[in-house]
Amino acid sequence: MRANNMAAMILAGGRGSRLHDLTKKVAKPAVHFGGKYRIIDFPLSNCANSGISNVGVLTQYESVLLNAYVAKDQFWGLDTNDGGVYVLTPRERDQKGLDVYRGTADAITQNIDFLDEINPEYVLILSGDHIYKMNYEKMLAYHQMKNADATIAVLQVPLKEASRFGIMNCDENDMIYEFEEKPAQPKSNLASMGIYIFSYKTLRKYLVADDKNPNSNHDFGKDIIPAYLNDGRTLAAYRFKGYWKDVGTVDSLWESNMDLLKPGNELDLGDTSWKIYTEDVNALPQYIGEEAVVENAYITQGAVIMGEVRNSVIGTGCEVGRGAKVIDSVIQPGAKIGEGAKVTRCIVADNVEVAPGAVYGSADSESIELVAKKYAE
Amino acid sequence: MRALGIINFENSNVNIGGLDDYRPAPAIAFLGRYRIIDFILSNYTNSGIDNVQVYCKEKPRNLIEHLGSGSHYNINSKRGKLRILYGEKSFSSPVYNHDVANYMLNMQYIEEDTNPYVIIAPSYFIYSLDFSTVLQTHIESHADITALYTSTNDAKVQFLGCDTLEMDKDKKVTGFGTNRGKKKANTISMEAYVMTKKLFIDLVKKAAETSSLYWLKDIIVDSVEELDIRGYQVRGYVACVNSASEYFRINMELRDRNVAKGLFKPGWPVYTQTNDSAPTTYATGSCVKGSVVANGCSIEGEVTDSVISRNVTVRKGAIVKDSIILPGAYIGENVKLDHVIVDKYAIIHHVKALTGTDEEPVYVKRRDRI
Repeated sequence: MRANNMAAMILAGGRGSRLHDLTKKVAKPAVHFGGKYRIIDFPLSNCANSGISNVGVLTQYESVLLNAYVAKDQFWGLDTNDGGVYVLTPRERDQKGLDVYRGTADAITQNIDFLDEINPEYVLILSGDHIYKMNYEKMLAYHQMKNADATIAVLQVPLKEASRFGIMNCDENDMIYEFEEKPAQPKSNLASMGIYIFSYKTLRKYLVADDKNPNSNHDFGKDIIPAYLNDGRTLAAYRFKGYWKDVGTVDSLWESNMDLLKPGNELDLGDTSWKIYTEDVNALPQYIGEEAVVENAYITQGAVIMGEVRNSVIGTGCEVGRGAKVIDSVIQPGAKIGEGAKVTRCIVADNVEVAPGAVYGSADSESIELVAKKYAE
Repeated sequence: MRALGIINFENSNVNIGGLDDYRPAPAIAFLGRYRIIDFILSNYTNSGIDNVQVYCKEKPRNLIEHLGSGSHYNINSKRGKLRILYGEKSFSSPVYNHDVANYMLNMQYIEEDTNPYVIIAPSYFIYSLDFSTVLQTHIESHADITALYTSTNDAKVQFLGCDTLEMDKDKKVTGFGTNRGKKKANTISMEAYVMTKKLFIDLVKKAAETSSLYWLKDIIVDSVEELDIRGYQVRGYVACVNSASEYFRINMELRDRNVAKGLFKPGWPVYTQTNDSAPTTYATGSCVKGSVVANGCSIEGEVTDSVISRNVTVRKGAIVKDSIILPGAYIGENVKLDHVIVDKYAIIHHVKALTGTDEEPVYVKRRDRI
């Protein structure tokens, strides 16, 4: 299928340090979600489903696994003749030496040559750490209809939480006249989702200028958007309705997994009209043992359940031993819960082995316990 | 590896009650997420065979969709090739539609292949085997043909209707017979052979000249005295999916992880076409025990000792026991199934109870609505 004239750039360089040991060896976009997915599967699948064929992924922090993963563009059906997924890491350059990406805007600026080669009419800037389903093609149509220089996707949040977000203040036509980063007294509840469509020619000029500005943070929210506003450029807000979650903390990652257990949940990963694609795994189907108890659970391929699983998400190839109890927890792929062990309100990290009889977490804990030691006794 | 891999189609002894009305045996769904052909094809590619010909007796649509270009079976997209071949000529009668006729029709593609050896095996024998070892043994033995066999102590139940091998103490094949289930112990031919491509072509041509109803195995039986045919014993798990009751029994026994270990080995993946299904949802109030469940299912009811394929729905109050549910089927509220095979996309809603037996599981047709 011939694609639309928009290239996507996914910012995937951050560590996500509030995920603690989950991101010790992998960047946040590579963290597993929902048993079988990685967070970055969401923007990548959204791109594939939105008819976008050129996708750049900008990586920096602990990028080995992430680079190898996203390079397999066939996972998302993005291995088309006229496109692909391109891994863009900081590189050594003539006269400049090896530099890191200094900010979200700088990551794009350092890859202007890549974008020039594709020469798209529009550039879609995405973040690699959000869980949501969105049709970017509809957003592009809106951008064109509004005749905007930039369009920013916004989410309506409760006003009392608005001070945690970047807030877009808009006129009655949803045109943005002001941007406030985490305002103490929010005037609006339209929060930026970090999803931008820019007309490339204009953006390119701003990026080049920003690169030369010694006082800039080289950040879209702090520098590029304010510069657009200062110059009186047209900025449209695109209202998004649906499930969206920044899974930046252990608690929010857990919550977002738990959302999958709610009947009729908004994310609806089973919707075949907007599938989320991921790596194919060669594992047997899941097996639920003769003595197992499984209730209100989300379980994926390769899992072997011999014990009890309640209100939990169980990842690829996990094992829950005889007599073990997994309650209100997220077990990341490859983890093993030993016989008689008990795990309550926990995230058990990838490939962790919880020793037989070990006890982690408790039903009345205030926050979620992360079990990340390779062998947890 | 220096061999062309041929996957032969099933003969009329294979009759998987109802399931094979809609698709050829190799394309029948198996153990929740596989198709029967996945096992032999994965054996081939894991053994380093990159050129594979799959012969299809009829209804190729299903098989073509499942196999595609073969890239998901790890066939190299540049150096390898997967060909799906079937009789383009309309056969005047089904009895003429046999393997030799199809080899003759596609002889050009066999002759074109540059590998000096061929390995021929059907899809409906299920096992895990490194064919590079078999080829090595074949070359070292200087035999004309190496024939795979398995020894069983359960020949009254398993491998019924299969060919048997008679061998001398050097494993030279001296004769063939048929397993009619009269005795417990037997040596079963797995209808899989290794030989040079030249001998294979000679045998195919000779078979076609001898009788227009001859299968490859008929000419091999005829040649037992002139040719040095050696048996090669396949140890470990071997099963033959040649009847509805065996299909049922084999699916059921592979639920047991210890049995499955004989077939699914580390470093020897069984590839299949995947579907990007989400994980399976087990609702509050569901009760699942002793079952293999694929992804994409929604389970609200009770499932015991069963195989549930992808995207199956089991509604509240339904009880599924000792049954095999194929992809996309819908088991409505309060429906009770015991020893039932439900084919793809069937909807069971109005009928509230179906009961079969181990020997004769009830079969519900594809896309049926009952």
